[in-house]
Amino acid sequence: MKRIRPSRWSGQLLQARRGAGIPAARTPLCLAVRCQSTSSVPASDSSTLDSSSSASPPPAPPLPAPSFDRAPQSAKLAALHARLSLSKKIPLQTLARALVTPSADANPNFNNANLAYLGSTIINFHVYEYLVCKWPRLPMAILYEALRAYAGDESLQQIARRWGVEAAAAPGEEVDPGLLQWKAGESNVVNTRWGYIRSEAAKGKAWRRGLSSRVVLDSDFGDQVSSSSSSSSSSSASESERLEYNTLQSEAFGSVVQAVIGAIYTHCGRDEAKAFVKSHILSRELDPSRLFQFKLPTRELAMLCAREGFEPPVARLESETGRLSRTPVYVVGIYSGKEKLGEGTGASLDVARRKACMTSLKAWYLYSPGNKVRVPSDMMEPGAKPWTAPHIDIGEII
Amino acid sequence: MDLRSLLRPASQLVAPLRHLAAAAISSSPSPSSALLVVPLISTRGHKTTARTKRSLKMAPHDSFLPSRSAAFPAADQIIYNPPASEASPEHTPFIFLPRNDPRRLAILRLRNNNTFSDPSSQPSSSSSSSPSSTEAAAAAAGDGELPPEMRYKRRQPKYNLTKEHIDEMRRLRAEDPLTWSVQRLARKFECSTVFVQMAAPAPEEHLRWLRAKMERKKERWGPIRTAAREDRKRRAEMLYRGEL
Repeated sequence: MKRIRPSRWSGQLLQARRGAGIPAARTPLCLAVRCQSTSSVPASDSSTLDSSSSASPPPAPPLPAPSFDRAPQSAKLAALHARLSLSKKIPLQTLARALVTPSADANPNFNNANLAYLGSTIINFHVYEYLVCKWPRLPMAILYEALRAYAGDESLQQIARRWGVEAAAAPGEEVDPGLLQWKAGESNVVNTRWGYIRSEAAKGKAWRRGLSSRVVLDSDFGDQVSSSSSSSSSSSASESERLEYNTLQSEAFGSVVQAVIGAIYTHCGRDEAKAFVKSHILSRELDPSRLFQFKLPTRELAMLCAREGFEPPVARLESETGRLSRTPVYVVGIYSGKEKLGEGTGASLDVARRKACMTSLKAWYLYSPGNKVRVPSDMMEPGAKPWTAPHIDIGEII
Repeated sequence: MDLRSLLRPASQLVAPLRHLAAAAISSSPSPSSALLVVPLISTRGHKTTARTKRSLKMAPHDSFLPSRSAAFPAADQIIYNPPASEASPEHTPFIFLPRNDPRRLAILRLRNNNTFSDPSSQPSSSSSSSPSSTEAAAAAAGDGELPPEMRYKRRQPKYNLTKEHIDEMRRLRAEDPLTWSVQRLARKFECSTVFVQMAAPAPEEHLRWLRAKMERKKERWGPIRTAAREDRKRRAEMLYRGEL
């Protein structure tokens, strides 16, 4: 009876292989051990194990997550597959694997870490190219936030919840494989963020972190990559705990979306993945004009006009009402020469002028070549029209 | 449901018959065949698209359409369609458009066509916005139809100071920072206060004394004034975030 336990593992492994297509090059050492045990098991054994739930072996150490051979029986998985109208090429086992986070099962051959990383690169690529072509003058900080609004963990969590993904109360072997397997409090085994750990991070938070260095050193969202993710040593313990729980939760739910897109890319290819990203992520509405926060809008506008060779901006009072009343309204327009740049209303002359400056700056930053912009990945389609270069801006106002 | 599923094949069966009947009607009208046909036609008058989209598609009222007959305020009117609303940052002004943008060419063409009226300017000010100062009025007259300039502090660089002036400024400030305050130096050398603060900063102990003075003043503030100051700061932040 001693042989049965490894054979059980091997059955699961075979299933996972058939379904999920694990890259052989990435198999770590522990898997090699398992593989050897597979070879020693007779073939008939694995066939019986496909319907294994009836034959109950003596209690082995329970799996951290439901095994893949139960995936075809799960109604939730089939429903999710159908709801997303995924291609038949994507087996249910892969979808089941997309729902197992590294916090539940640390083994990279059985969790969704690899698929999620692949998916996140695809999502970020498509969102970035869309943002850069749609709003070519967005400043880098706004671009980061816009990317986060589309492809950040919180947004992806919303998407996953709208898909109907639900979390299991606790991950385990007996849980329905159609539920998200994750638990909080487990330190992340697999790091899916790529960036450099800054040497000056040890010097404290006072160290300046400029935007250019964020582009080079930090992660896709411009976030600092820290060596140890534990930053929960603040004063209000319960508050920070709740925050950390929320972060981990959104990371887990977000990894499902990423892993599904990674799976689509693996099984169906580039075009399907792009169509999926377009319909599920880029279709969400984002108003980038709400992301801005200015410090000195009047000065910034003056510098913009000086840089671009326009006449210096002048505020002109277009109309007003109730100057001597309790609630006056002023409409101020900003003009450069005879051209009007923007307009703002306010209860005082100063507020109206600053609002008008902010509107003009936003009008500069939010220039868009049109609603139907072509992105570079459109060229990969067969029979694409010849490429015309998009507008490329010279950069931010410094 | 059942009735419909029954009816459909029946009507399909009848359809060729109906054609025959129609042909018969066209050739020689016979009331009996028409009676046979009419109750069997089971068609839904409105398909879903027709009900939800097509019948709801109505042309806007004339007042919603901009009148291109005259320049902007064609006549005195009360109803403006679309009503006045905040300017949207989605609309890129003409000079912010890059050189190769098709909108730029279109606007240029439009402007060349009607050279009388500048489409970008010409506001509607029915309220009494009388320019208070004469030079504002003169400027407005010089600019044609542009509204009056506002009067606010803005940078007017003069570049009138030399190295000797700055040395003198520094000497005076170091000598007696109380009498030679920032304001007074700025007035004497005809430059901005910011420039004085940059070129001739006060000695450290004077700054410390000023800060202590300010602290003492703040301590005397009551709760109302403190709250008002904080609120003002918060309001400015909200304004810059575009929430106000």
